[in-house]
Amino acid sequence: MTYHTLLFLFTAIFAVWAVMARKLLTSAIMLALVSVCVALIFFDFGAPWAGVFELSVCAGLITVLFVGAVSLVRTVEEKSPENRTRFQALPPALAIFAIAAWFYLPPFLDELAGWARPGTGGGTIGLALWDMRRPDLLGQVLMLAAGVFVIKSVFPRRTENK
Amino acid sequence: MDKGLLAYLLIPLFAAVIIPFAARCRRKLADIIAAVTLLAGLANLAWLVLRPSVINGGFADIPGDGLSLLLVATIYLIGLCVTFFSAWFMDEELPNRPAYYSLILVSVAAMTGVVTTSDFFTLYVFIEVLAVTTFALITTDESAGGIEGALKYFFLTFPASALIIAGLAVLLLTLGSLSFENLRIFMASDIPSGPVTFGAALMLLGFLIKSGVVPFHAWTPDAYQGAYAPVSAHLAGIVTKISGVYAIVKLATLLRFFDGRAQGLSGMLMFLGMLSIAVGALAALRQKDFKRMLAFSSISQVGYIVLAAGLGTPLAIMGAVFHLVNHATFKTVLFLNSASLERSAGTTDMDKLGGLEHSMPWTSWTSVVALLSTAGVPPLSGFWSKLLIILALWESGFKTYAVLALLFSIVTLAYFMVMQRKVFFGLKTRAAENSPEVSAPLLAPVVLLSAVIVALGLLFPYFYTYVRVVTERIIL
Amino acid sequence: MSTFATEWYLIAIIMFTGFYCMLVSRSIVRQLVGLEIVSKGAMLTLISAGALTNNLVMAQALLITMIVIEVVVVAAGLALLVKNFRVNGSADMWKLNGLKG
Repeated sequence: MTYHTLLFLFTAIFAVWAVMARKLLTSAIMLALVSVCVALIFFDFGAPWAGVFELSVCAGLITVLFVGAVSLVRTVEEKSPENRTRFQALPPALAIFAIAAWFYLPPFLDELAGWARPGTGGGTIGLALWDMRRPDLLGQVLMLAAGVFVIKSVFPRRTENK
Repeated sequence: MDKGLLAYLLIPLFAAVIIPFAARCRRKLADIIAAVTLLAGLANLAWLVLRPSVINGGFADIPGDGLSLLLVATIYLIGLCVTFFSAWFMDEELPNRPAYYSLILVSVAAMTGVVTTSDFFTLYVFIEVLAVTTFALITTDESAGGIEGALKYFFLTFPASALIIAGLAVLLLTLGSLSFENLRIFMASDIPSGPVTFGAALMLLGFLIKSGVVPFHAWTPDAYQGAYAPVSAHLAGIVTKISGVYAIVKLATLLRFFDGRAQGLSGMLMFLGMLSIAVGALAALRQKDFKRMLAFSSISQVGYIVLAAGLGTPLAIMGAVFHLVNHATFKTVLFLNSASLERSAGTTDMDKLGGLEHSMPWTSWTSVVALLSTAGVPPLSGFWSKLLIILALWESGFKTYAVLALLFSIVTLAYFMVMQRKVFFGLKTRAAENSPEVSAPLLAPVVLLSAVIVALGLLFPYFYTYVRVVTERIIL
Repeated sequence: MSTFATEWYLIAIIMFTGFYCMLVSRSIVRQLVGLEIVSKGAMLTLISAGALTNNLVMAQALLITMIVIEVVVVAAGLALLVKNFRVNGSADMWKLNGLKG
């Protein structure tokens, strides 16, 4: 059991915890821990830039947004709690899936790994983003513009009809 | 990315950023800027393609693969019609009016990005942008129905995106790159295609969910019915076609369905296409609400495109591309007319409407043109595309599918006849008594699109030449 | 079993958890949590594939774009949730059944 596999395992455990948690706030915090684990995996793979982004943006910003939203809806949510039996059925369902997958997936995945076509792997991240993935950068700009307009559209400033 | 068409992406984005500032001075400037941007783009495209010298040359010197150009033109046309329609339809006091036009322009830019890109990941990025703008558009009028539709859309498209990313990871693993060209070269070689097909299957599954093909159609009727009225035209006419169906057609050509590689996938696509044709048509028969019936009809028409894409022969791809364009025009007409009905009669419930032929003649007759085209009545444009698809099926030996496709085309005619009799012909009901014809600006886009439908049908030989050029370029 | 197979096996489990959550939950917040988990799984597939094929630089470039997208998507989803909360007064997905036919 290496450090690497352990990180993946922790991600899975935190994910299950996030789903099972009774309180939404716990759920949001577990989600942040999932993000932290994913960021650590990125570092371990040797992808520090993605790791930094994941850590600051997903584990930081998204968690803040989630906690804000949860604090808004919490009062209503607690008045009519969800049916817990469905969530308690997750561990057995997951166990069944894991055992079934244990028989079928590994041989398939090993075959898939045999098909890997090694790339050149050169260059730096900045050059790769700018030279090879320039349309993606354009897409990011478009995405951020879309985000701004979505927020403007969903929460318009009401001047006339207050 | 197609460099020549980049301007069609950047200019709407630029205009979208300007609009909020311009609208602060004069509110009316927002609609003017949006409409003028799209009109200018459309005029530019028309000049590029419709010059007599280009037409006489058999469209040989159009840039790129032709498909992008055709689809960009369709996107701009629908975008222009929706913008123009909204400018008069929309409540003057609606607080998110400037943001609405910005979002329409951003979604036009994103769709242009989708159809001009040559890389799967960039395609994914633009599709995500499109999805985000779309569900904000759906909730424009802040009605409960709109929010419900938007939420359903949200929670079905984004898991689909995760499937697409997983497929991309498999492709990255086995191809070493994500460009369309690499996949095409790989499929043309003799290497067994197993793992690549697996990756492509995951992506196809994601795109099928996004385009609302039958087992995954749960979100479609709700989103279309609940959406703000002009937005449902935008959504049904072009957005779901570009975000899902376009990618399916593209994948079908890249995976070389036509020479029998990836046969399992091809068969699955054809089956799902046929299933959506059947389920969509049968469900449309028993709808009470005009918009909801149109939504099911849309599912059924998407089925034709998916069926043709799954077959993948050059003739079928030609039919699929042609039907994609046709579907955009006639479905937009129908949805815009439903918006007019909502404005004028106050309801889209078909039981409450009737005899609108006399009070709303323009709306009524443009609807007739559009629905006859949908049902495939000659000589309108829908007839030719369905003919191409059915011929391609027959030629490749899928005779059952061909007969079924023809049969459900008749069912389409049937449910539209039922609708037409209930809404436009027959006795006047109380709701119809005091529903005057909508104003001329609201009719202009609908009449323009109806003219396009008739023109595409009558000038079919020219259009056929163009689509054949496209097909030759994208398949070979 | 190779490292790669172990990784993807665990990723499959993570994605199953996310999909299960989206399937059974009524609360919109919890559905968003499920969505996040699913997309984390998708990110892990990308980086794992990139590491196996010595294509890490490209995988990293893709991931950065994906993270930007994810933030906007989640922010938009939460905005929708808040708006739904204001209009309908609940954050319950299954109470939404106004549209039928």
